[in-house]
Amino acid sequence: MKTHEKLLLENRAWAALQLERDPEFFNRLEHVQTPEFLWIGCSDSRVPANEITNTQPGEIFVHRNIANIVDHTDLNMMSVVQYAVEVLQVKHIIVCGHYGCGGVKAAMGNSSFGLIDNWLRNIKDTYYNNRVELDNLKDASTRADRLTELNVIHGVYNLVKTNIIQRAWKDWNKPVLHGWVYRLSDGILHDLCKVEPGSEIERVYRFD
Amino acid sequence: MGTNPNQSIFGSYRQDLTASVVVFFVAIPLCLGISLASGAPLISGLIAGVLGGIVTGLLSGSQLSVSGPAAGLASIVLASISDLGTFQAFSAAVVLAGVIQLVLGYAKAGAIGYFFPSSVIKGMLAGIGLILILKQIPHALGDDKDYEGDESFLQPDNQNTFTEILAAVMNLSTGAVIISTACLALLIFWGSDRIKKNAVLSIIPGPLLAVVLGVVLNLFFQNSFPELALSGIHMVDLPALDELSAGFSLPDWTILNDARVFTIAITLALVASLESLLSIEAADKMDPFKRVTPLNRELKAQGVTNMISGFLGGLPVTSVIVRTSANVSSGAQTKLSTIAHGFFIATAVLLFPTALEYIPLSALAAILLQVGYKLSSPSLWKEQFKKGLDQFIPFSVTILVILLTNLLMGIFIGILIAVYFVLKSNFHSAVLVVNHGNNYMIKFTKDVSFLNKSPLLKAVESIPGNSKVLIEGSSIQYYDNDILEILNDFKISALKKNIDVEIKKTKNALHPFFKSETID
Repeated sequence: MKTHEKLLLENRAWAALQLERDPEFFNRLEHVQTPEFLWIGCSDSRVPANEITNTQPGEIFVHRNIANIVDHTDLNMMSVVQYAVEVLQVKHIIVCGHYGCGGVKAAMGNSSFGLIDNWLRNIKDTYYNNRVELDNLKDASTRADRLTELNVIHGVYNLVKTNIIQRAWKDWNKPVLHGWVYRLSDGILHDLCKVEPGSEIERVYRFD
Repeated sequence: MGTNPNQSIFGSYRQDLTASVVVFFVAIPLCLGISLASGAPLISGLIAGVLGGIVTGLLSGSQLSVSGPAAGLASIVLASISDLGTFQAFSAAVVLAGVIQLVLGYAKAGAIGYFFPSSVIKGMLAGIGLILILKQIPHALGDDKDYEGDESFLQPDNQNTFTEILAAVMNLSTGAVIISTACLALLIFWGSDRIKKNAVLSIIPGPLLAVVLGVVLNLFFQNSFPELALSGIHMVDLPALDELSAGFSLPDWTILNDARVFTIAITLALVASLESLLSIEAADKMDPFKRVTPLNRELKAQGVTNMISGFLGGLPVTSVIVRTSANVSSGAQTKLSTIAHGFFIATAVLLFPTALEYIPLSALAAILLQVGYKLSSPSLWKEQFKKGLDQFIPFSVTILVILLTNLLMGIFIGILIAVYFVLKSNFHSAVLVVNHGNNYMIKFTKDVSFLNKSPLLKAVESIPGNSKVLIEGSSIQYYDNDILEILNDFKISALKKNIDVEIKKTKNALHPFFKSETID
């Protein structure tokens, strides 16, 4: 049997089991979703948002890209944030990175991988802005771990700078923004930062 | 009802004492009725009532359960007394039964109480509620020939539950009907929101008012409409102390030479323990604070009570549901209520036995009809129905069997049915078959034992020829060897039907049969 055929079979079994446990499961989710969270994470296959948080379909709105970069010129991600915040009215946005991220490692090196080099420029900029701290760290893997954390924190503050978040804070006093990092070796999430609605915003980034 | 459930037993003495008066009124005719049904002296039931209240109340960990002589034991007691020849010999057996219960408590046998399925416990409550209603209808209509507290379908007077009601309808007593209807109306009104929201009135339990109303109505009948007035067997009839004490006796220990006394003691201990554990489970379910009673401590408390009751010539006790339910619905909060009800029985017997004969049994029937309705309320049926057939069928079978035979038979059959449903759901859902076109998957979703053989064989046979089958079981830890054998056989037999069988091997599989060789 072909591997993609196995996926289709596994899906049938999954749907049958969901129905067995809860006959209303699909009826409930068919017409409406009311997720409480927006997850901005890495595309890495080892960091699936639902599995590591034991959440069910309908609970998390997900956007994933390589190295979980939050960039305000990314029309895709900005649309996800706008829809999640203004239409779905999520209560929390989680930016989640992970140690051992290939994107972060690539951004620290000098090899070229094609188009992706431009995408990872965001992380190179983060390295450059924190080069004093990072260059003082003893080895490459500690530096990569710290850069992973800085990339997440940077992403959270990039969200604060958007007019979408600032308007939502004013109108609805939500969402809360979280920066988390996942460790592949033990499966544990660590929280790095939390920004509550109404927090102080650097003057130049502030919208009235 | 914002009371803290961890308070001392005197923290809510107002509610507890008023509730205990209601339980006392209900308990007196039950103690007497159960003595009659047991073929024992009347005083033996009253002694058991007093001790079940005071001794069990003090020792038990339950706040709301009421113990006393039990209708469920009556037939065993009746047979045992005639077996052993004298009531004094039977008393020795009660002491022994108490010792056995105490030992069971120390042996932690109370744990079996945790295995009663909730559908069966709820069925038992609803069943007892229905019996209570059916058995009290004759009393409400003024037919008081059958003794109070009878719970069995076939009555000693050759009637059964339904013919008795028919007989009562044919011989209506107008006075009794007026009293029971008025009391019932008062109880329903007293249970309405208008009273519940009133801080002063809501403290007075409705059943207490119903007793007062019954007494006042009958006194009014005596003065103004003597043809309606109730008397004699239609009233609570507590015999005078000298009459009662004639039946008082102490155990006859010479019976210990007779081996039969031990068989009877063991039977009594087991049945009484079982009934107590069931009632305690039920009491915990009725508790608005959802307190949990320690079951081993309960067995010890019951054992000590039965030892004392036997020594003093009393009937054996168990925790009893009708009195417990009356206790809960009268607003009891702590065990002060059951302890006080024991004191009240003792005081009434010793000091003013004649005072109770002003209470018509039809007024008590109204109270017990309401208790019965609460035990078996339509919302309980609806709730069980919504939970699905695997809950509703054991629930309703328990009720039906209790109604047509007796309590323990109902529980026994109910548990069998509940276990059947547990096993059935495990057999079926452990093996799942799905297909996508000509591709099939057999998936294991739960631990698979030899019990799942037949569903697996059926699954294997259901797969048509010329197809592909993927067998998946990576998330399951336990596979019976029989199961793996079937799978290996299938791999061979499938060749003939041109079925391509593949075992899905993954690195993360929990059982070696489904684990792939790791190549690093």
